[in-house]
Amino acid sequence: MEKYWNKEIECASREDMKKLQDERLVKQVKHVYDNVKYYRDLMDKKGVKPEDIKGTEDLHKLPFLSKADLRDAYPYGLLAKPLSECVRIHSTSGTTGKRVVAFYTQNDVDMWNDCCARAITAAGGTNEDVVQVAYGYGLFTGGMGLHGGSHKVGSLTLPMSSGNTERQIQFMQDLGATILCCTPSYAAYIGETIYDMGISPDDLKLKAGIFGAEPWTEEMRRSIEKSLGIKAFDIYGLTESSGPGVAFECSEQTGMHINEDNFIPEIIDPETGEVLPEGTVGELVFTSITKEAFPLLRYRTRDLCVLSRKKCSCGRTLIKMAKPMGRSDDMMIIRGVNVFPSQIETVLIEQGYSPNYLIEVDRVNNTDTLDISVEMNPEQFSDKVKDMQKQERDLAVAIKTMLGINPKVHLVSPKSITRSEGKAVRVIDRRKLHD
Amino acid sequence: MSNVRQISVFVDNKPNQLAGVMKMIKECRINVRALSLADTSDFGIVRMIVNDTDKTVEKLKAASYAVTVTEVVAISIPDSPGQLSRVLDILGAKNVNLEYLYTFLGKSDRSVSFVIRVDDIANASEALTDGGIIQLTENDIAEM
Repeated sequence: MEKYWNKEIECASREDMKKLQDERLVKQVKHVYDNVKYYRDLMDKKGVKPEDIKGTEDLHKLPFLSKADLRDAYPYGLLAKPLSECVRIHSTSGTTGKRVVAFYTQNDVDMWNDCCARAITAAGGTNEDVVQVAYGYGLFTGGMGLHGGSHKVGSLTLPMSSGNTERQIQFMQDLGATILCCTPSYAAYIGETIYDMGISPDDLKLKAGIFGAEPWTEEMRRSIEKSLGIKAFDIYGLTESSGPGVAFECSEQTGMHINEDNFIPEIIDPETGEVLPEGTVGELVFTSITKEAFPLLRYRTRDLCVLSRKKCSCGRTLIKMAKPMGRSDDMMIIRGVNVFPSQIETVLIEQGYSPNYLIEVDRVNNTDTLDISVEMNPEQFSDKVKDMQKQERDLAVAIKTMLGINPKVHLVSPKSITRSEGKAVRVIDRRKLHD
Repeated sequence: MSNVRQISVFVDNKPNQLAGVMKMIKECRINVRALSLADTSDFGIVRMIVNDTDKTVEKLKAASYAVTVTEVVAISIPDSPGQLSRVLDILGAKNVNLEYLYTFLGKSDRSVSFVIRVDDIANASEALTDGGIIQLTENDIAEM
């Protein structure tokens, strides 16, 4: 029996949802125009007035915001409430440039916690559960987001943060954690460590995991599910919109329901900015219609994905987004071909390798090189050099079939690629250093 | 059957990799009787015959090394011209394909011992016995 945190919203009719979105959007555009000079200037430049926005059908008239705008406006330029009404900030990791800082009023935190509560409930969580939050706590939204959701549901919350894996596993066993929340790469690492410690998934009470904050493949999902003996649910979010919980997966595991009472999604052509019809792959854009302190309108996420209103077996009517197929800034163009790390990961898992890998891209004599270090599979280890070299060649052929370009595959020792406790670093692009 | 078990270990082609394997072996007080290192640009395969195979495999696996055990033939032949050639002719006559061979770290001045890796070990062993070549057992090696 499917459980909902807020059935009225999660299963609302399309008409009721649109009505709610229309009301909230109109109010939000006015709030932003009145309080955020940066966005008011963008609207004025485009010749759009708040009165022009009468409902979601007018959304396309509004200007976009991008990460570059957030950096320009750092730190207070997009703030829509006085600091005295803000209660918290979170920030992006800043790995791709200047940090982005997001502000929250108490209502914003409550809304975010509510979104995470929906995700935990959809993963089967109730007040009977013990939720182990192994996302990093701090400026990163992962830890505090799921923590707040777990409190709201009334689950017993273990605020572990990431790291100290053996202690994580000990608490998991001693306190009978039933739901694990962390990045998928950390979940995979916990699964490996459990195996190494001689613990069977049957010795654990875990039943579900909520994993997000980085791209992961369907193959990786299956491998985590097996290693931890759980059902693994995806969760989506970004600091700019609040954090995890913008969208969450249900028991059908075929994409994530977007909390569209708070975030209106659009798919656009990343080149032209034109809105694309449902079912087309493009860049995901979100408009926050309930956030007070940091209300981003038409924020370009850089995530490439597809939306669907197909009826879901879970009963929710919230629109679904497919797992993003990559970020447009994760995408590498190698010898003119678009390459996503997730494609390579899919091949590795299919071929029986661990999803720990390192992609190195460089340019030698004006030609791009693609080197992939992969942990060899001890089960397939042979004392004969020719057998091992054949494994490298076979893997290179499988990757070539997927990508259309020839990689150089390097087998390395098991566990020699650094494990991550947060977001995994899987790509080193040395070409950028030459620019 | 007098086949001998060889341990192979996967190592990265980077400094200190073989040292790491040897350090474990030292700590376990295991003696290496024969050793060879095959290398490619990415990785190496350490192959060795030791005086306690089970313990060595257990320790290496516990340290997360990729380890495999294969059966090989170990022979002892007089240390004089033409002896290895004779062995290879015997194997060749039976159409046995040789994957690789390496010598023991022996100290006898009258004989020399080899590890021979073939695919068809039964056929090779029989041919060597028929040809009068001395094959070593794991017991012989442990006592070396």
